[in-house]
Amino acid sequence: MNRPARSLTAAAFILLALVLGAACSPSPTEPLTLRYGLTLAPTGIDPHLNASSELGIPLSSVYDTLVFLDPATGEFVPGLAERWEISPDGRTYTFHLREDVVFHDGTPFNAEAVRANFEYTLDPENHSQKAASMLGPFESVEIVDESTVALHLSEPFAPLLDSLSQVYLGMASPSALEQWGPADYQFHQVGTGPFRFVEYIPNDHLTLARNPDYAWGPSIYLASTASIERIVFTFYEAEPTRALALQGGEVDVVGEVPPRDAARLAESGGFALTPVAIPGQPLQYFFNTRRPPTDDLPTRQALLLAVDRESIVRTIFGDYSPVAQGLLSAVTPGFSPDVSFPSFDPEAARDLLVQSGWADADGDGVLSRDGQPLTIALVAPNWGSNPDVAQLLQAAWEQLGAEVTLQVAAGFGPLKEIQASGAYNAIGLNFFGTDPDLLRGFYASDGLYNWSGIADARIDDLLRQASQLPLDPEGRRERHRQVAELVRDQALVLPLRDYVDLVVSSNRVQGLRFSALGWFPHLIDLRLEP
Amino acid sequence: MVSTSDRPAPRALAALGGRLATAALTAWAAVTITFFALRLGTGDPTASLLAQGLATPAQAEALRHELGLDRPLLEQYFTFLSGLVRGDLGLSLYTGRPVLRIIAEQAPSTAELAGLGLVVAVGLGLLLGIVAAWFEGRALGRAAAGLAGLATALPVAFTGILGLLLLVGLPGSVASPVWAPIRRLALPGLVLGYASSGAIARVVQAGLSESLLRPYILAARARGVRPRARILWHALRPALPPAVSLGALEAAYLFGGTVVTETVFSRPGLGRLLVGAILQGDFPIAQGLVVLAAIVYTASHFAADALAMTIDPRLRGQI
Amino acid sequence: MRAGAPEWLSAAWIALVVFASALAPVLATSSPGQPIGEALLSPAASPPLGTDALGRDLWSRLVWGGRLSLAISLGAASLTVLLGTVAALTAAALGGWPDRAVLWVSNSMLAVPGLLLALLIAAAMGPGLPAVVLAVGLGGAPGFARLARTAFLQVREEQYVLAAQALGAGRAWISIQHLLPNASATLLSLATTHYAWAFLGTTTLAFLGLAGDPSAPEWGTMLNAGRANLPYAPWLALAPGLAISLTILSVHNLGEFLARRARR
Repeated sequence: MNRPARSLTAAAFILLALVLGAACSPSPTEPLTLRYGLTLAPTGIDPHLNASSELGIPLSSVYDTLVFLDPATGEFVPGLAERWEISPDGRTYTFHLREDVVFHDGTPFNAEAVRANFEYTLDPENHSQKAASMLGPFESVEIVDESTVALHLSEPFAPLLDSLSQVYLGMASPSALEQWGPADYQFHQVGTGPFRFVEYIPNDHLTLARNPDYAWGPSIYLASTASIERIVFTFYEAEPTRALALQGGEVDVVGEVPPRDAARLAESGGFALTPVAIPGQPLQYFFNTRRPPTDDLPTRQALLLAVDRESIVRTIFGDYSPVAQGLLSAVTPGFSPDVSFPSFDPEAARDLLVQSGWADADGDGVLSRDGQPLTIALVAPNWGSNPDVAQLLQAAWEQLGAEVTLQVAAGFGPLKEIQASGAYNAIGLNFFGTDPDLLRGFYASDGLYNWSGIADARIDDLLRQASQLPLDPEGRRERHRQVAELVRDQALVLPLRDYVDLVVSSNRVQGLRFSALGWFPHLIDLRLEP
Repeated sequence: MVSTSDRPAPRALAALGGRLATAALTAWAAVTITFFALRLGTGDPTASLLAQGLATPAQAEALRHELGLDRPLLEQYFTFLSGLVRGDLGLSLYTGRPVLRIIAEQAPSTAELAGLGLVVAVGLGLLLGIVAAWFEGRALGRAAAGLAGLATALPVAFTGILGLLLLVGLPGSVASPVWAPIRRLALPGLVLGYASSGAIARVVQAGLSESLLRPYILAARARGVRPRARILWHALRPALPPAVSLGALEAAYLFGGTVVTETVFSRPGLGRLLVGAILQGDFPIAQGLVVLAAIVYTASHFAADALAMTIDPRLRGQI
Repeated sequence: MRAGAPEWLSAAWIALVVFASALAPVLATSSPGQPIGEALLSPAASPPLGTDALGRDLWSRLVWGGRLSLAISLGAASLTVLLGTVAALTAAALGGWPDRAVLWVSNSMLAVPGLLLALLIAAAMGPGLPAVVLAVGLGGAPGFARLARTAFLQVREEQYVLAAQALGAGRAWISIQHLLPNASATLLSLATTHYAWAFLGTTTLAFLGLAGDPSAPEWGTMLNAGRANLPYAPWLALAPGLAISLTILSVHNLGEFLARRARR
């Protein structure tokens, strides 16, 4: 090799060595960062205004709530409120707030801040999708003194403490709310939690940084300070990418891993699988009682009987998911274990249809009655394996002799749009939560999500009574049991599977624990081994 | 060879200007056609917001007024155009954020992919074309020509999945983080570039074949002139201008190809943004992307023409 | 011009696809929407092609899917050929401002690359199979019109057309009697090559999830569904992917062959 070439080669090698060295050795000033994978990027991430449960994964560590729900005992423990009293008539809740709490932007936390939060959430201009409805018959918030606040309700409301324990009613800095307004606040969120909100680029990433001043954590947090400096959340909308991201070292933890991938990763030895049962409603489909042919009870019952729920759950979710047995998943407070849904019985289904006058008049495999074919418009949301479940429902009902059109809605908005048009016979939707009162939104005749179109005074009364017994858990349980019976007997809903979140983490991650709601990790408890 | 003056003739500048004007006009026409198509097709967007409970009827009416939907279509069009000139592409229907900002956030990822794709397309196209022409009639040449032909016909979705299969099928080594940049960028770039390389390869092969048959080249090969690379270079030069122009053109088509590639490899970017906007009916975003596409396309056509004129002075006289 | 091995193979594959689609009710071993067993069974466990993620027979879905994919792409291609031919014929026969108008409109539409144009039309119409047909059909029209116009113009310059014009024949007469039949060989090759593009376009739009109904066994939709289970059942993606690719290649080959013949 001639001289110029040799020195050139030498220079190249030196350069290469430098670059490799820089890439390999971690800089000593690099903060300890955990990478967490999320799934769908929600359209909005302000918990006061948006309903997505995905947003809670990072944000439940940015905000504290007045009270916290202990997942182990089911009791409420102090949070930002040190103690509280409920008036005997159940209509006034007085909270005594901690006096040592400061927001991430330095604003002190006090009764005024609490009032500002409620005003922001309840302002009709802000269109809160979930938080506002969680407050029920809320009337006003009264500032008793700087660290005491009283909430006044027009009627007793049993789920109030449960609502106040959720991230959707987390306490935000009033100056930040004021400064940014409802449209931009989601990009500049300020709370009191163990982590600070740093930035959010939609569809790209969200970053949190440790709050070093955090000294008022509830008893359910095991750690008093977080050991991880930074957490970066990235989005993995397509299911197969989550396992790939874990294997490739792009993330340390990710949830909602498909069952086969989760099993494979757990068996490979480098990862731990934590299945988390999620309380709330199971994956389910409502029947539209206001549109033929599902306006007819025997038809709905036949559709229920024609579905082999065990087989569907096993095919799609493997061994990780129990078949749903009611209006709520089995781990939810208020679940009624003795109200069971009918099991798979295709013959009984067919008999029911024949008895109500359906017959295959022209031999084309589709049943008809009075000249009208048995057409079912099935609408599925695009999350949580719903499209797959819906395809199997379609197959089952076609086997029964129905003609099924399947439509997948590309998001919560489009789903609501289709529902508003009324053009559906079966539609999928479920909410998560830790209080059975969430059934009211779905089964009360004036419920916001009464998508089965039911108007049953008995159900309305039972649900209302149950919501007004904050001090009588037995009474509530009994009433919810009766509601479950009524709903089952009228075949309003087809429950399919209890949600189980398959969270897979690399072996470096320790201390992975989840809140009572199931989806949200206690980020403060996480440790990252080297 | 006849030497040409290096000073661009005044006619060349005029030609370039003419092309620029045509390009601008075409872009404007494209934007106009899609504006009317989208407005007439998607119906009333506020109806969808109403249905979702995101607006009361009073607010929907106010929003209609604000979006200008209660004005005659022509007036809406001029408002849109004037906004366009100012760089205002409107607000996303679902998130309310400025479309320009949303596009700007997703653009770098797509630009990265398209850039790499272009490099691969030109590089691979040159390689395949040269091999096909130099070894014409022999097995190697036929193989290269076959690969180039496959490139244009095989759907990007399929080659992408084959690529994914390769990654997934490889044992253990894929698990190490070293493979991450390959999986995220190199492989999608390769897949995308391969699809576009076929056309370039074809042009290079055609041009090179022809010039390899020229008398002075044949003579040089017969005399055994070494290194052979010199001969290749001389034969290649006339074949380059059309290849280069095609390369610039492919830049525009790559934009379309990124839609599929981003979906297959689950990369963030404008492709996914467009598909999402279509599925959700968020037409301001779709419109904004069309504007971008039209600009990219006409700009690349213009660049292709300008490049061709620079390389081959004979083209400068034409308008 | 002799047809070589590639051409015969291409024709054979196309014939196979057409026959299989026509005989779908007979060839399929089960209904494409009904699960027949466990999910993700290999071809060995459940011949001939195993089961998909929901336990449905892949072979049956492939066979029925061929029908669907062929129908959709033929619909789109027919739309393109019809629109494009009419526009090009008008432009070539009439000349003058109709010609400039057609050129201008197609050039403007071409300012947005083919797939993107189709996506845009889908944006205006919303997801669903009819939208896919229309989007690909309209999206391919400007390109086809331009090429067809060139073909017609070449015929127009032929001696016999000039002679007819000299004899005072009307332009509509010239179009129908002379332009159309004499350009038919070129048009056929253009249409064939274009059909390859239409097939690619419709399966790509379906792959992107724009076909609306995920249970319909369209090959593009199946290709997309196969992605989720690549490590466990690669044949779920390979089968439709190969089918799509072979079809496009075959049609493309035949189109090139016809073009070479037409140029003679």
